[in-house]
Amino acid sequence: MKILVVNCGSSSVKYQLIDTETEIALAKGMVSRIGMSASVLTHKPHDRPEVKVSGEILDHIVAIEYVVSMLMSPNHGVIKDRSEIQAVGHRVVHGGEEFTDSVLITPELMQRLRSLIELAPLHNPHNIRGINACEKTLPNVPQVAVFDTALHLTMPPYAYIYGIPYVLYKRYGIRRYGFHGMSHRYVSQRAAAIVGKPITELKIITCHLGNGVSVTALDRGSSIDTSMGFTPLEGLLMGTRSGDLDPAVILHVMAREELSLHEANTLLNKHSGLAGISGISSDMREIVETARKGNERAKLALNIYCYRLKKYIGAYATALNGLDILVFTAGVGENSAKVRSLTCQKMDFLGIKLDEKKNKKTTAIEADISSPDSTVQVLVIPTNEELVIANDTRRILKAQTKRA
Amino acid sequence: MAAVQIIIIGAGVMGRGLAEAVSTSGHEVILVDKTTKLAARGIKGIEESIDREIHKWGLTQSDKKAILARIHPSSDVSQAEDADTVFEAIPEDLNLKRALFEKLDKICKPEAMLVTNTGTLSISEIAATTSRPKKIIGMHFLNPVTKVPLVEIVKGLKTDEETFQKAVEIAELLNKKWITVNEYPGYVTTRIIVPLLNEAMHVLMEGVATADDIDEAMKLGFGFDVGPLALADMMGLDVVMSWMENLIKELRDHKYNPCPTLRKLVRAGHLGMKTGSGFFEYDADGDRISPNERAEKQEKAG
Repeated sequence: MKILVVNCGSSSVKYQLIDTETEIALAKGMVSRIGMSASVLTHKPHDRPEVKVSGEILDHIVAIEYVVSMLMSPNHGVIKDRSEIQAVGHRVVHGGEEFTDSVLITPELMQRLRSLIELAPLHNPHNIRGINACEKTLPNVPQVAVFDTALHLTMPPYAYIYGIPYVLYKRYGIRRYGFHGMSHRYVSQRAAAIVGKPITELKIITCHLGNGVSVTALDRGSSIDTSMGFTPLEGLLMGTRSGDLDPAVILHVMAREELSLHEANTLLNKHSGLAGISGISSDMREIVETARKGNERAKLALNIYCYRLKKYIGAYATALNGLDILVFTAGVGENSAKVRSLTCQKMDFLGIKLDEKKNKKTTAIEADISSPDSTVQVLVIPTNEELVIANDTRRILKAQTKRA
Repeated sequence: MAAVQIIIIGAGVMGRGLAEAVSTSGHEVILVDKTTKLAARGIKGIEESIDREIHKWGLTQSDKKAILARIHPSSDVSQAEDADTVFEAIPEDLNLKRALFEKLDKICKPEAMLVTNTGTLSISEIAATTSRPKKIIGMHFLNPVTKVPLVEIVKGLKTDEETFQKAVEIAELLNKKWITVNEYPGYVTTRIIVPLLNEAMHVLMEGVATADDIDEAMKLGFGFDVGPLALADMMGLDVVMSWMENLIKELRDHKYNPCPTLRKLVRAGHLGMKTGSGFFEYDADGDRISPNERAEKQEKAG
């Protein structure tokens, strides 16, 4: 089954056309600068070189139309006719408390998605725009929504309720939701496959270290806790986000520097994290490189990043009452041997011991990087959120046809 | 949401603020002034404003690049020929505005909406110079445009519903709350703030309290973000005085009669923040400086 996987941002659309039989992405690409003067479409068929086209792409509808034409193009295309696209799978960031699983998109569902905008004002409106655009461009092709939050709805209330008046949870849905669900799910399932045991017998901690950073504790396949909360700001130190912080700090800074809500928000989301501490970069590669050359602030940023990750791993191992597998994934997790090494240092009391040679050698491939006497298997697994979306889309449609 | 073609005529304080707001919302904008030098000065002002916002953590360096890339300076009003929306942000002078609208009417495509940013003048009077009074509307933004979340949408006598709806769309695009105002001198904001500023100046002139204390009292007592005298400095004392004069002309009410202190400052060229002194003193970045620093500055100036 050929499924178009779509991830819509405010001015971008990322896509992959995935064949679920072979699990191969026939083509992947991205439209950027939507609504601006020179929009760009980058497209890479799996067996040919990448192409770049620029043009005026005013909105998401035109963007999806461009993508579909590119997929059918005689030179760069991978399909002959748009009817070959059998379904569309959408990444939707926030599913609230309602969506514990992916769902088929219907007019009624769109209504419910719109009601969730308040929880994710930065993401959900664009996701909805993408769904509408696909409906226009590919009418009658079934569409499925796959949520970032769905995996974590198995968290118990004592893990997701904040220590503030309960009535705020009732009034505004303020609680911890967690994100990166597709990634944590994919790598935990791959981890079980790699060690050759059913996931229902395993205690796994997955560390998604990308632009956003989150760690999840999975007890027999179910998320019991995760580091991101009401928004993706909570938890670990990230490229430009602060992660956990005494909330009084921001109130104090707002008063001292006379900041508006907007300014305080960008302070925490865009000026903090690795970039804010180091004053150098939000990119871990640059941080590691500059730290190696002896820069103190880069070293500090790197140490904070790894130390806080280590604390979360310790906490989650306790929450799980044990640990079988620790997984590193996403940009930093897959590529930075330094971060993995610093994080796992002196964790042997928990049974975590790295094989530093294997660790150093491992870049963006699946590998076991633990030493033979490590009781916890430490794995590097490149994530594949798009494949999760494609497979979910197929599964939901299959269930739908059975029911019909 | 199709990309709308927006052009702004006048790269002064309001024009550049508006250009920054439009660009920050993700849209391209052309910023026109009489000479390339004036237009470039407008861009420089926007850069400084973005830098201040970066300093206050509100934007990032990459935001700055993106915002500036979407603003295209020009000295050619005829670039308005392709625009869907034209904003006028030239000085608050009826004859200047009427002349500009007459010119724009000839340049612009017939369906284009022409917007004036006047705070006191009559939309209908400005519209009368054009062949499209239905498509003329007032959108009164307040300075600093990127910070004040309000716009007054002002209907002239002949402004049609379609034009009004387009103005609402623009307001929403810029993330502003809007109120509808029927054409009347001073609308809501200018009409109410002007006598307040004037009264604060009288209180100062009559020696009731110091400028600092007057502002402090209004800030703490009534929850103003900025005191009235600092506010007048921010707006530009010449601008404030021109509002008063327009209101007197229109409403014949002596309560708008500019306080003598205001007249004196304007005559001396002390126009507030933009010239570095008004009721208070400012450095080149527009930050308030203390009485000590003020003394130093005066010493240096000889």
